Amino acid sequence: MSFDPKILGIACNWCTYTGADLAGTTRLHYPHNVRVARVMCSSRINPAFIFRAFVLGADGVLVGGCHPGDCHYSTGNLYARRRLAVTKKILEFAGLEPERFRVAWISASEGNIFAETVREFTEQVRNLGPQTKLAAQKRMLA
Amino acid sequence: MIQIEKRLREEAKRLLETKEAAVVLAFGRGFDEEHPMPLILRKPSDAEKIVFNEYCTFNMARHLTEFPPGTKIAVAVKAADSRAVTVLIQEGKVKREDLIILGIPVAGMKDFRSGTAIDATTTGPAVNPVLYDILLADLLPEPKDVSPYDVLAEIEAMSPDDRWGFWSAEFSRCIRCYACRKACPLCYCETCFVDQAKPRWSEKSPSASSNMMFHLTRFYHLAGRCIDCGSCSRACPMDIPLYLFHKKVSKECEEMFDQAAGMCVDAKPVMVDFKVEDSDDILL
Repeated sequence: MSFDPKILGIACNWCTYTGADLAGTTRLHYPHNVRVARVMCSSRINPAFIFRAFVLGADGVLVGGCHPGDCHYSTGNLYARRRLAVTKKILEFAGLEPERFRVAWISASEGNIFAETVREFTEQVRNLGPQTKLAAQKRMLA
Repeated sequence: MIQIEKRLREEAKRLLETKEAAVVLAFGRGFDEEHPMPLILRKPSDAEKIVFNEYCTFNMARHLTEFPPGTKIAVAVKAADSRAVTVLIQEGKVKREDLIILGIPVAGMKDFRSGTAIDATTTGPAVNPVLYDILLADLLPEPKDVSPYDVLAEIEAMSPDDRWGFWSAEFSRCIRCYACRKACPLCYCETCFVDQAKPRWSEKSPSASSNMMFHLTRFYHLAGRCIDCGSCSRACPMDIPLYLFHKKVSKECEEMFDQAAGMCVDAKPVMVDFKVEDSDDILL
């Protein structure tokens, strides 16, 4: 059986989560590998969430937010953009494959783009294989 | 160095006598000349205890946040330390008007453990403080054509797997004594994320993955703030080259956001700021 990656999705309430909802209500098919957690804004994401996800054994992390300029809180995703860029640089320099972490700006009307992004990212992570670098030897929390 | 020590004693004595400062943060004798200690003075008569030599490498900005707000503090700073003071002012942890900054232009400091000179490989190349009220020696010529980031080339050239091998070997030696956190002038959180029980961000006992979690998050917390003083690495009992990672993060922040940490009191630290035209190319 081929490797089935576990991917943490973190989606902002106003755009990406609603976009994911739209993908569902329009009956679009996409892989089940991304488990979506909802936050109120992409700037709510503490980079430690991402490090923690990898430590707990996630094979990839996908962050979704509003398009820059469309943030429900005006500027939240502009802060998030800087934070996530630094987070990615840190993961990269530590030696984790940078392809395991991705950010997508997906608006509430882009259900098809959400499905497409999940499909693409899942394949990308599947090709990389299981993430064993940061993951704790024994999974501490199931 | 002797001249600086003399001037530092004079200024400390004067500031405490005239009550311009309630506290002076300087360097004192440890168990011998080569092992100085941080010294906190409150009485003019204590000024004689001040020493200054090439082993006074620690960053006294570390102690600025330990006093109640409004305390008039005089602090002796070297080049990198003055940038730490600047960041603390930017972040509102201390007020500029409460500080009297005694600037020490100095080159040729030495690591007291190894006795080797501290140069641009482990810290910033600057020799003059960026912010001071009283200068304790004449300004020195700044070294030209020295980048603090040259030392990174070797690690940047590695493949991701080799880099992972390098860092996991380094961090697996970490004993989680938190000396890096204690030595850092900008690690001032009352409760570090790693000490929190709810949420439990990280396992507390040393293990490969929890060490990585602690250090990566700490590097992130110092992104755009680290002023490359190298105190963390000198404090590390296991000789983990933390400065390399900090340098890398500072370098990326400078390249992406076009601003070095702690150079100007009026600037905003890059991680609490944004520009509409910031790039997201690496994220997508």
